Amino acid sequence: MGKKLSVKDRERCIGCYSCMFACSRAWHNIIGIEKSAMRVKNYPGVEGAFSVRVCQACLDPECAQVCPTGALKLSKRGYGVELEKEKCTHCMKCVKACSASALQWDEETKLPLPCLHCGICVMYCPTNVLEMQEVIGNVQNA
Amino acid sequence: MYKMLEIDLSTGQTKVKDISELFSRFIGGTGVLTYLALRELTRELDPLSPQAPIFFGIGPFNNYFPSASKTVAIFKSPLTGDLGESHAGGRLSLAIFAAGFHVIKITGKAEKPVYLSIDNERVNLVPCRSLWGRSALSVERILREKEDNRKGKKSIVRIGPAGERLSPIACVTVDSSRHFGRLGLGAILGSKNLKAVVISGNRYNSISDKKEYQAFYNELFKDLAFSENTYKYRDLGTSANVVPLSKIHSLPTRNFSQGFFENAQRISGEYFAENFLAQQISCSHCPIGCIHIGTLRELFADPHMYKTIKVSYDHELIYSIGSNLSIADAGEVLKLLQFIERQGWDAISIGVALAWATEAFQKGIINLSHTDGLALGFGDSQTYMKVLENISSGKNEFYRDLEKGVYHCAKKYGAEDLAIHFNRNMTGPDAFVGYAVGVRHSHLDCAGYSIDQKFLGRQQDLEKEVKMMYEESLWRMITNSLVTCLFARGTYTPNIVEKGLRLLGYDVDIQQLTKVSRVIHGMKYILKERLGFDFEKLKLPAKLTRIYTGRGMITLEDFKERIRIYTQLVLQDKYLAKELLSQQFQ
Repeated sequence: MGKKLSVKDRERCIGCYSCMFACSRAWHNIIGIEKSAMRVKNYPGVEGAFSVRVCQACLDPECAQVCPTGALKLSKRGYGVELEKEKCTHCMKCVKACSASALQWDEETKLPLPCLHCGICVMYCPTNVLEMQEVIGNVQNA
Repeated sequence: MYKMLEIDLSTGQTKVKDISELFSRFIGGTGVLTYLALRELTRELDPLSPQAPIFFGIGPFNNYFPSASKTVAIFKSPLTGDLGESHAGGRLSLAIFAAGFHVIKITGKAEKPVYLSIDNERVNLVPCRSLWGRSALSVERILREKEDNRKGKKSIVRIGPAGERLSPIACVTVDSSRHFGRLGLGAILGSKNLKAVVISGNRYNSISDKKEYQAFYNELFKDLAFSENTYKYRDLGTSANVVPLSKIHSLPTRNFSQGFFENAQRISGEYFAENFLAQQISCSHCPIGCIHIGTLRELFADPHMYKTIKVSYDHELIYSIGSNLSIADAGEVLKLLQFIERQGWDAISIGVALAWATEAFQKGIINLSHTDGLALGFGDSQTYMKVLENISSGKNEFYRDLEKGVYHCAKKYGAEDLAIHFNRNMTGPDAFVGYAVGVRHSHLDCAGYSIDQKFLGRQQDLEKEVKMMYEESLWRMITNSLVTCLFARGTYTPNIVEKGLRLLGYDVDIQQLTKVSRVIHGMKYILKERLGFDFEKLKLPAKLTRIYTGRGMITLEDFKERIRIYTQLVLQDKYLAKELLSQQFQ
């Protein structure tokens, strides 16, 4: 049984972005939030209202379905996706297909940034917004 | 490479300069900006003229390390004519970094109202006549939505109507109610027809030694997110001070008539937290979460039509609009604060002006003909709301004067004796010497209030106390150059700072850092003196010699002696700075 990243309690988010810094740092060796595979978004004009967009670890991922070359496909774990960079044609269809707007895009390499569900972001969330959750059947995050 | 973006609002032209050498000499933030300001700010310069520059700067720690989340602004203050320095949080430092810059310099004046759009290296002046006159809060709502398709995180810096009216106590609001508060930066933006700055980008740096960097980062993160060092800010926030300060007679009450507020409990941090606190939020890349957002639900029509206001609060705002006006109702304090937020006044400065007006009214110096029939009285929040409305509509000369600050009003109407200000500016409750000598005219200069608390009930040792203030202000030259949040000061100790700078390639040790801090401190006083600041002319507001404070009665002689000691300590720093400035470099 694997684990997937999920949003346990969105309302606890303080908007510090430590999660995005951690993801970008861990997987892409950069200072910043740009290569993070998840996003904390601010609602316009609403102080302190954050939307936390994480990969839903779909068992039947929309993003992979639309990939014309099979570069993005269901992960070997059976949930979530993995990317074969060499096959990617940078068409961005995958990002557009993610109905949760969770799949991020790397502007530098023009590649999608699939979440690996490693849990590094969870470790740096000071208020426990995020958690690693066991993957059961086809249950999606709320 | 460290880069400065220069923008001339008159022509729309921009330039980018490599300022890496300045960063190696003066670290960043306040150090670099003070050097740049030294080359441009003169006594003759009108701070509201197109020539007057605004500098925004971040430091080498911003984005690299947690709670290095501030941006420094340096300018010539339209309130005091002296050096203006102010710091704000929010997402601004992250956005400046992500746009690829470390310093942004703005000069000139746009022909018509504009907002400045910076998206990576793309800089545009966007006409925005329909935003002119709008509140600081609505501008944020509109621009955040309008500019929503940008890459990266946006920061929205803007003024309210007070800045447009050139009020020298107008602030600049950043993102979720963070501010460049004191000394009138809002008026400078207003004078330039600059309603807002929207900045964003998707630039980033790579980590060179990941293992070492990650270990150091973890050490900082753990301390900032979970340790005692930041507990106060994670819990009640600075408003935890309200009741303790009242107990030691250090909470400004009824225009500093006393330090004890009988209703302190009703506007305490605990009371706000239990009854009004909706949530706490953070500046970007800071795990502390010190921003306390209060909500107030109010019935506006029968039987069940409610509206809810949201506004941030902290200790300084609570004393300024609460105890110092004798308002004991936390909900009323929030209502007034929200009005102030919308207009874009510095809440501390407007509170002090209201407190002065009230006492002057009690003494008959201000009367009903000035106030257009409003009887000002401490504790009367409804009348204060009307006063704020009258100021914002410019109802008459008296109301227009009130937003010029307490110094201007006292000079014009009399009652100078009742005006609480230092060098025309008022900032905080105690540690008067700190306010008088400080380079930011703020309680944040040297934490004099904290030194007062340390010496409570103890025999005075003037030399020791002043030396402590001086040393604290020196160290803040470094943290303000980095630019870390002062709430993180318990984490960013000299050893940590040295280690962090070395990781970023700076060749420094603690001894060199001390020297740099003294050079920056010296440069600040050289600049201040050029603009007219004079230690010998510093005055203690007369009223403060007649009240009982936490440290007992304050005498003019004591104040003067402390200033004398401080002046001596600064002399060597000025000498060091002059020596360095005589050398040729960029």
